Amino acid sequence: MAADYAGQGEKSVLEKMHHELNVFGISKHWDFGEFLGFPIQLNGETIFHTWVAMAVTLLIAWVAVRGIDMRRPGKMQVCFEMLFDFLRGLINQSMDPKRGAGLFSIVVTFFLFIAVMNVMGVVPTYVKPTADIQTTFALALVTVSLIYIWGIKYKGARYFKHYVSPYPIFLPITIMEDIVKPVTLAFRLFGNMKGKEIMILSLLALVSGTSWMAGGFLAGTLWLLFCIFISLIQAFVFTMLTIAFVSSAVSEEH
Amino acid sequence: MVDLSFNATVFMQMFHFLLMLVVLRMFAYRPLMNVIEQRQVYIADEIEAAERQKASAAGLRGQLEADLAKAREEGKVIVIRATKASEEQAQAIMEQARTEAQRLKEEALAEIGREREKAIAQLRDEVASLAVLVAAKVVKDALTIDAQHNLVQNAVKEVGQLQ
Repeated sequence: MAADYAGQGEKSVLEKMHHELNVFGISKHWDFGEFLGFPIQLNGETIFHTWVAMAVTLLIAWVAVRGIDMRRPGKMQVCFEMLFDFLRGLINQSMDPKRGAGLFSIVVTFFLFIAVMNVMGVVPTYVKPTADIQTTFALALVTVSLIYIWGIKYKGARYFKHYVSPYPIFLPITIMEDIVKPVTLAFRLFGNMKGKEIMILSLLALVSGTSWMAGGFLAGTLWLLFCIFISLIQAFVFTMLTIAFVSSAVSEEH
Repeated sequence: MVDLSFNATVFMQMFHFLLMLVVLRMFAYRPLMNVIEQRQVYIADEIEAAERQKASAAGLRGQLEADLAKAREEGKVIVIRATKASEEQAQAIMEQARTEAQRLKEEALAEIGREREKAIAQLRDEVASLAVLVAAKVVKDALTIDAQHNLVQNAVKEVGQLQ
């Protein structure tokens, strides 16, 4: 199939692959008419695969919680406890444990949900929701909300003082910072995952015909292994940055 | 190629995330955290109990060691006392045996003496009778009874002096 599209450029090959891997025939857009004059349109693939990821996340959580035991924890329970310990350690390192307590379950959910969505991308028919800018942007918006909620909760009106400190002339820069934070968060995750997806599709396209000998299959396999690594790293980076942003919002030395 | 347009998906994804947060928090995190907390409490309790037991064991050990030392000391005293008592007893028994032996010896000697006296007296009588008989045969009717008696008495005296 790669040969059929060889002359039509990279874009067509990728789109063809993408189309062929869409075995469930999920349409690109779901339209739900209009609401107050605005069209309600959803990205079908993103939403559908988010549901799959949610189901998988819940399944993993169920495996961890099933047969939960204080004295003899199951394997998945141990994994979760290690994750909890690790993330709680990160939170407690960067901020007052009392202030970080409420952040804990949000951070764990960030890591877990993003990691599942990312890692599931190694299944070729699965379209990562995180390779859609709307998903990553939604998550980044949650992080930004957390920054404001935590900042105002623990510092009240004083939180807004950091926009004009040490001098009011920094106001444009601090406002810019608030905009840049979610945008960088969203694009970092999105870019990594989209790049991963493009690589997977390209390498899959190479498998057909004789080109597999040129490394399509081997490279594809190695790339998928590497993808697992990138996926977890990106989930961790997102989580880590969320903690860092919130902790800088609640810290006193502004 | 890369679609960067926005539509309602972004809100849907936020909703999905919040849904996951609520559901996981309710069904996964809470029980897991409870278990972790229980375990922490359990371990802390166990450590505390172990420390308490250790302290009490150390106290008990000290007490037992003191008791043992005391018992050992007492045993030593008892042994010494018993040795002394037995020695004394042995000494007493020996003493008693010695006096008993002495007494028996003395008794035996006295008996021998008595027997000897008795034998001598008996012998004296026998000799007297024999002398009388011999004299009677020799002097038959030549002597009166009194003369005979005197003679005998003299003979007896002489025999008595012989011894």
